[in-house]
Amino acid sequence: MVLADLGRKITSALKSLNNATIINEDVLNDLLKEICLALLESDVNIRLVKQLRENVKATIDFDEMAGGLNKRRMIQTTVFKELVKLVDPGVKPYVPSKGRSNVIMFVGLQGSGKTTTCTKLAYYYMKKGWKTCLVCADTFRAGAFDQVKQNCTKARIPFYGSYTEVDPVVIAMDGVEQFKRENFEIIIIDTSGRHKQEDSLFEEMLQISNACKPDNIIFVMDASIGQACESQARAFKDKVDVGSVIITKLDGHAKGGGALSAVAATQSPIIFIGTGEHIDNFEEFKTKPFISKLLGMGDIEGLIEK
Amino acid sequence: YSPCSVAWWAAKTLSEADIEPVLEKLKDHLIGKNVASEIATKLCQSVGKKLEGKVVGTFEGVSTTVRNTLTESLVQLLTPKRRLDVLRDVVEAKTSGRPYTMAFCGVNGVGKSTNLAKISFWLIENNFRVLIAACDTFRAGAVEQLRTHMHHLNALHPPENHKGRTMVQLYEQGYGKDAAEIARHAIEFARKNDFDVVLIDTAGRMQDNEPLMRALAKLILVNEPDLTLFVGEALVGNEAVDQLVKFNRALANHSTSNKPQVIDGIVLTKFDTIDDKVGAAISMTYITGQPIVFVGCGQTYTDLRRLDAKAVVNSLMK
Ligand SMILES: Nc1nc2c(ncn2[C@@H]2O[C@H](COP(=O)(O)OP(=O)(O)OP(=O)(O)O)[C@@H](O)[C@H]2O)c(=O)[nH]1
Ligand SMILES: Nc1nc2c(ncn2[C@@H]2O[C@H](COP(=O)(O)OP(=O)(O)OP(=O)(O)O)[C@@H](O)[C@H]2O)c(=O)[nH]1
Ligand SMILES: [Mg+2]
Ligand SMILES: [Mg+2]
Repeated sequence: MVLADLGRKITSALKSLNNATIINEDVLNDLLKEICLALLESDVNIRLVKQLRENVKATIDFDEMAGGLNKRRMIQTTVFKELVKLVDPGVKPYVPSKGRSNVIMFVGLQGSGKTTTCTKLAYYYMKKGWKTCLVCADTFRAGAFDQVKQNCTKARIPFYGSYTEVDPVVIAMDGVEQFKRENFEIIIIDTSGRHKQEDSLFEEMLQISNACKPDNIIFVMDASIGQACESQARAFKDKVDVGSVIITKLDGHAKGGGALSAVAATQSPIIFIGTGEHIDNFEEFKTKPFISKLLGMGDIEGLIEK
Repeated sequence: YSPCSVAWWAAKTLSEADIEPVLEKLKDHLIGKNVASEIATKLCQSVGKKLEGKVVGTFEGVSTTVRNTLTESLVQLLTPKRRLDVLRDVVEAKTSGRPYTMAFCGVNGVGKSTNLAKISFWLIENNFRVLIAACDTFRAGAVEQLRTHMHHLNALHPPENHKGRTMVQLYEQGYGKDAAEIARHAIEFARKNDFDVVLIDTAGRMQDNEPLMRALAKLILVNEPDLTLFVGEALVGNEAVDQLVKFNRALANHSTSNKPQVIDGIVLTKFDTIDDKVGAAISMTYITGQPIVFVGCGQTYTDLRRLDAKAVVNSLMK
């Protein structure tokens, strides 16, 4: 992920602070330039990058600060705090509860990896002993139901869908109802890909959400996305109650920095990441441990706590 | 006074110090529009080089001059050096008694299969018979996706409108088989059965996935398509660079011929999802020097356009 990669670059940039004999505004500007470049190369939203730069600058007051060590520490702490903000929206992720039906709806742009990730999530819970199933509420994409059917059959996950019903709201409702009756604990709804520019698609998403009253809505984002992520993520959040983010395709070269803006825009934590096309290429993502691991790189451990 | 006379005596020679701050802003602007940062930097550097020492009137202003120069080079970049005329080339292949072949490749989920279907529709509208080769034998539902498109397309263009000819057919051998072989058989089948065009759908793959990239190179090497199209989505950020460099390299490296076949053109998809953040068009063209042959701008068969270089640059500079 972007921050893991950045960790190294930033650590070395911060180390250069130790080599500087005096810490002044120029040194800080150079440091920020280096960090911002690294962030932009990883697709982090340019507005977030600019904000980060402003925030760090606003916190560091050269006139007020005393010794060099103090300045260094202050700069390092502030930079890391700002970086942490990128992945940590500061809200607790939704946790499903055993023994009752937890309805989880997937939404996202076209081709971001929703259907694949639905199966991965179902499989993840199934292996942990939950009673899990999948509802295919994508009636638009050619072959969508076949995709779900083949995935689920292979993984032995119960599924619901239709070749003839054209209204995804009806399918979603019927599927969820049936599975609730059968006491399934994790009911996952796969939906079509959509984008904010097409109102009817967003309206449809709202209708499915209203009809099924999901306990959690997961926004799925492709790691390679660039600057367009933020406005899309914001639009999804404005329409339905997105509660979590999953970033897919992190097995590639992409660092996922663009997708991070979905965290800020939806105020939702990343809960899993996708690392391949196979059903078990799926990893839990825990914001806090991730950050401590990040901070553990180099000699800046524990800065945040101080 | 007339502004011209003012400019006459106020003309000045541009120095790096004049240009630098303007370019720095423009670079950020381009990055904000989703041009890959490395490419935004290079573009601005070359504009800087072009302008240094140039004499401008002050009424024009440094900023306007720099902007205009950048605008010009962007339009030039997006304007294809050679005109690719697919319909003409299809006719030419037909005259020499063989089907015209196109392969679609790219990373996962960018819109290869969907835009292949749109291009089928366009070809059928132009009265060509299309064979779709289902060479994604990996992703669940990939074959059924294409079959569904075939049914829809044949319903839109039934044989009775085309002298009894079925206009599109699917060539498939299910899942798990060797893609290069299926493509080869499909082309053979098309030759024997009087198809004008073969469209080869391939599985999405990450550019760093060695075995999958080698398999793609083999497919291209064995079948020598007339047109190898890279499908990339307009949503992609800095990754556009790495994707194209590595797809090109994989095709070149694994080729045994002395004239290796690389990417001939680009299909830029999901252009309807990015508002004015059109920078991926720049990144992709800059890296390959190849034209954007088609632009996908929606999910229906008619959502296929040609690139409008001026309009793209306008959105970019806005
Ligand atoms: N390499 C890699 N590929 C992935 C990952 N997740 C999904 N994919 C691939 O991405 C492509 C698109 O995935 P889908 O699950 O069909 O995407 P979707 O969001 O359901 O697409 P629509 O329903 O058309 O909007 C497929 O080729 C998947 O195999 C991942 O983590 N890594
Ligand atoms: N909005 C929009 N969506 C598109 C466009 N082109 C394709 N899509 C959608 O993107 C999603 C993925 O398209 P596919 O054609 O399955 O992509 P692919 O590259 O074949 O995917 P894999 O074979 O899984 O790698 C589908 O939901 C398409 O409808 C486009 O131009 N605009
Ligand atoms: Mg899907
Ligand atoms: Mg496909």
